[in-house]
Amino acid sequence: MSDNGILLDIKGLCVSFFTEDGIARAVQDVSFSVKKGKTFALVGESGCGKSVTALSVMRLIADPPGKIVAGEINFDGRNLLELSDQRIRAVRGNRIAMIFQEPMTSLNPVYTVGEQIVEVIRLHQKKEEAEAWDIATEMLRKVGISDPAQRVAEYPHQMSGGMRQRVMIAMAISCKPELLIADEPTTALDVTIQAQILDLLDELQEQSRMSILLITHNLGIVAERAEDVAVMYASRIVELSDCRSLFDQPLHPYTQGLLQSLPRLGFTGKRLYTIPGIVPEPLRFPAGCKFHPRCPIGCNDKRCQTVEPQLRLLDNGRAVACWFAPGYERPDDPKI
Amino acid sequence: MVENKQQKTWGTSYGEMVWKEFAKSKFTLCWLGFIILLFLLAIFAPFLANDKPFVIRIAGQLHWPIFKALTASDYSILLAAIVALIQFLLVLRNRRCVDPSIRAGVLWRQITISVFIVLVGIILLFIFIPRRLDATDYKSMVASGKATGAVFAPVPYGFGRTDLKVREQPPNRQHWLGTDDVGSDVLCRLIHGSRISLSVGFVAVGISSIIGIIIGAILGYSGGKTDFLGMRLVEIMMAVPVFFLIITIVAFFPRSLFNIMLIIGLTTWTDDARFVRAEFFKLRRQDFVQAAVSLGLPLRSILFRHMLPNAIAPVLVNATFGIAGAIFIEAALSFLGFGVAPPTPSWGQILSLGVSTTGRFLWWLTLFPGLAIFFTVLAYNLVGETLRDAIDPRLRESV
Repeated sequence: MSDNGILLDIKGLCVSFFTEDGIARAVQDVSFSVKKGKTFALVGESGCGKSVTALSVMRLIADPPGKIVAGEINFDGRNLLELSDQRIRAVRGNRIAMIFQEPMTSLNPVYTVGEQIVEVIRLHQKKEEAEAWDIATEMLRKVGISDPAQRVAEYPHQMSGGMRQRVMIAMAISCKPELLIADEPTTALDVTIQAQILDLLDELQEQSRMSILLITHNLGIVAERAEDVAVMYASRIVELSDCRSLFDQPLHPYTQGLLQSLPRLGFTGKRLYTIPGIVPEPLRFPAGCKFHPRCPIGCNDKRCQTVEPQLRLLDNGRAVACWFAPGYERPDDPKI
Repeated sequence: MVENKQQKTWGTSYGEMVWKEFAKSKFTLCWLGFIILLFLLAIFAPFLANDKPFVIRIAGQLHWPIFKALTASDYSILLAAIVALIQFLLVLRNRRCVDPSIRAGVLWRQITISVFIVLVGIILLFIFIPRRLDATDYKSMVASGKATGAVFAPVPYGFGRTDLKVREQPPNRQHWLGTDDVGSDVLCRLIHGSRISLSVGFVAVGISSIIGIIIGAILGYSGGKTDFLGMRLVEIMMAVPVFFLIITIVAFFPRSLFNIMLIIGLTTWTDDARFVRAEFFKLRRQDFVQAAVSLGLPLRSILFRHMLPNAIAPVLVNATFGIAGAIFIEAALSFLGFGVAPPTPSWGQILSLGVSTTGRFLWWLTLFPGLAIFFTVLAYNLVGETLRDAIDPRLRESV
């Protein structure tokens, strides 16, 4: 598995949350793979299950109430879901690292940034303290923090949001992970800083050939940086494709809606398109295709209302889950 | 790299920020000074109030009775105080002079050495210093001219000395705060009593904080059923009127200082447990704890290195109130006759002598220890209050 250039391979992942109000199926039958040295983007609105997918890879789902019900997460040929707690700790931070959405609260306020980076380096790389401090300083320089020798001795509250996110990135890459999971790394930042952080990630990826699993609700980010894209809607992947064809010819009406609602250069006059309705709650998913109440094509279609389309690989190598996508229908499909 | 490191200025730590905020209130600083003064009083009690002179010349020979009369525990307290002071100065010096990258290691080494010195020192002191009873009446020797050049402590009375000729005297020139029913000097007993009050406060709160932190941390981190059952137990514990429970327990066990500390500690941890649980509950969902888990840090480090320092603030504040409370409980127990056994002096015990066996009200026996208790409890409460205010806005701003 590791020889075909695939680093992370997720198969049939199902995650449910067992709450007092019922079972919330946050992630259902999600499968995709991340290639070595490439960026894979997971796109979707808030609450569609993309963060839960990312947390599952790190085995960070709080249990209870959450539980990975089914599926495999193969990382470099090993199923992470079967590892012991001790083994998974050796993977976390060392081979797979994660950056969180909220840089303001992702650093411990009582330690200097240096102390926090040093702890990770010492834990995973078994370095001497003084050497670990040198590496930490070097890492801060690498993520573009000016005067790193001074900054390494400062506390998080002395830094801006963008700087803290850089520190988080420095901490994440300090052990040279093979996979970096970036869970909406720029959502909490100013637009100018967003671009800087994303450029930094690109640069670091080029230097170290790590893979990035980029989780975002911003399709604009995806267009420039990802090789492959999965669009998630209400716990399922609705479209899986390489980035270029997704933007050229989106197959799923949800993806089409997302792309239409992006502002474009040269777009003047009329209001931007919005997808009507809101994302359904995991406890109250509609029957049939989960997108049909908001879908411009299938909202009145009987089949869309009753039978849920599965993600299906088409002849052109793309995967989609929509009865109306060209080339999707098979002869043995139910006809209503 | 080396010259690089020396230019580095260490950022303002959380502790320093809290201290700056705390130090803004000059009024509370005075009360903190009062507490420090009390501590000095307790540490140097035998040198401040003692019926033995520091130095005396008898038949042409110099004697040092006070140093011979000090017990092993007196010397242990002095040793611990000196080592603690040196350690404190070293920590202050480290902040300026030692490079941050190796400071944690240096600090741990220093603390280990300090603790080692104190422990070994105490053991040696207890082995090599015999219990001596020096019943010589140096004052009458001076009065009769047998001895000369005596230098006495500022309060030249021993706390265990009885002198029935001067019993139940109101304050006068010889006895500034009067004498009690067996003729002991009240000021002397107050000074020695500060040791009991302060140590009860500290040890009892130490015990209750440790129990509270451990239970609170377990409940807060585990959540679910453990938390539910644990909290019900804590609530049952809270429903019991602690003071009456303590009186009941004390009545069954020997009246020793250690027992009282232990019992106060074992019964007052519920608040700490609730605070720590609430903090851990909140912290568990915080991004930096999630980040720590995602970086593969072991549970030990997550719980005690990353979560506990962020949860300790309310415990610290509660501890200052707890010390005041423990001093109060000890005084109340002694007042009711369940406290430490005489002749060991304690503030509450002196207070209880205010109504003498003859039925007279001896106001000086009630007023002075009462004031001592009042001001000590007030000082701790004020310091705790200011500490809470100092911690609060910082938490909102910087996290």
